[in-house]
Amino acid sequence: MATNTLSYAKTEVDGKIVVGVGDLVVCKDPGALLVTYALGSCIGVTVYDPIAKVGGLLHFMLPSADLNKDKAAANPAMFGDSGIPLLFKSCYDLGAVKGRLIVCAAGGAEVLSDDGHFKIGSRNRTLVRKIFWKNNILIAGDDTGGTNSRTLSMRMADGTTGVRTQGSERVLWPT
Amino acid sequence: MANMNEILSGLDGLAALPQNVLRITSMLSGGKASASDLEQVARHDEALTVTILRWANSVAYGRPGCTFTLRESIARLGNSTMLKIVLEQKTSAMFAGAGAAYGLQRGALWRSAVGGAITADALARRAKFDSPDLAFLCALLRDVGKLAFDAHFGPKYLGLVEHHIRPDRTFIDAERAAFGFDHAQLGAELASRWRLPERISECIAMHHNPPAAEPAHDVLFDIVHAGDIIGLWAGLAIGCDGMQYKLAAHVRVGLDLSRPAAEGLIASTWDKLRQTESIMDQTAPQRASA
Repeated sequence: MATNTLSYAKTEVDGKIVVGVGDLVVCKDPGALLVTYALGSCIGVTVYDPIAKVGGLLHFMLPSADLNKDKAAANPAMFGDSGIPLLFKSCYDLGAVKGRLIVCAAGGAEVLSDDGHFKIGSRNRTLVRKIFWKNNILIAGDDTGGTNSRTLSMRMADGTTGVRTQGSERVLWPT
Repeated sequence: MANMNEILSGLDGLAALPQNVLRITSMLSGGKASASDLEQVARHDEALTVTILRWANSVAYGRPGCTFTLRESIARLGNSTMLKIVLEQKTSAMFAGAGAAYGLQRGALWRSAVGGAITADALARRAKFDSPDLAFLCALLRDVGKLAFDAHFGPKYLGLVEHHIRPDRTFIDAERAAFGFDHAQLGAELASRWRLPERISECIAMHHNPPAAEPAHDVLFDIVHAGDIIGLWAGLAIGCDGMQYKLAAHVRVGLDLSRPAAEGLIASTWDKLRQTESIMDQTAPQRASA
């Protein structure tokens, strides 16, 4: 399996690759299923090139690496503004082409009654939109906001990307 | 409505806290824990001894080319770190297999317990609270009520509570509507049966609703409450309850908790949690990652 990973916590059972919090996995194995659990205010981003069959999944926690440059250098997948560029670059390294990439995002939930003081999930959502807007990338499937926990998965055979929330499943791509 | 007594009396696996945790809890509530007491606890527990040696000889504490004995390791780590290692190790088996009721992966509840405890410890030091170790312990045990619901109902739990979940309602309210009590109250009752000191069981009971007004207000409750919410932001054990909890306004103000401070705690908690997991995984192979 051609897997390029910065993973701290991943398990592989029957092709399932679990992407942990603050973690990033890219791969080129059509038998693999990339999954990340427990997306709360964190955001999961998937990218997939349907021709090269290359894809990746990032689960980042916080928007900006400015919080701590040393931590970002040690673990770029912890932050959106360092993890998203790395996700794309790692996919390019495996043969993906920018113009073909299908991008989905899920997560960015908030606790109840934040009163606007923290907005951890909201700031993560804004960061994702800002990066993709600046780079002319369209988000093909989006399930963000609210208060629910989400599980995000992507099948490497065809890029089918889905979200599970409180027992119900929804396909983000293809729509 | 469920019966709290019925739930708690049927819990074989949770009938008692590990003896060493009880000993440490009484050391904490009685004041300082002595190094020789800690050594006694460790010496009779092979897995614990291995973990202590790994910690003392790790990058964070060790020196290249040096190997420390158990006694040297305890001295090197210091009482506070020793307490945390013992508590983490001795509660891991209790939390390891639980979580199905809340839709959690195996190991996620333990990760949440330890992550929340690490955050509470950091918050306590930041707030100059007199016993960061007590804050660590209370945060570590804050969700034992989830263990009790999990052990009693298993995967059936979600079916019982999901009809009471509303977008504008906390999950605590949903649990109360479904069962007549919530996991914090259930955990507090379990802690009382374990004969933990009253302040610890009260802290467990209040960890989602810490009282703001005197005389009920207690900074310890505020710290554990904030540790729990920051744990949610850090993505620790977010199951079917999602993010449906509230951060009490008086806690944000009282602990002077800003967004940058919260984000810093989220990042540092993960660093410490990964270090803990890395060492624990070598001595507890049954605990899979979340």
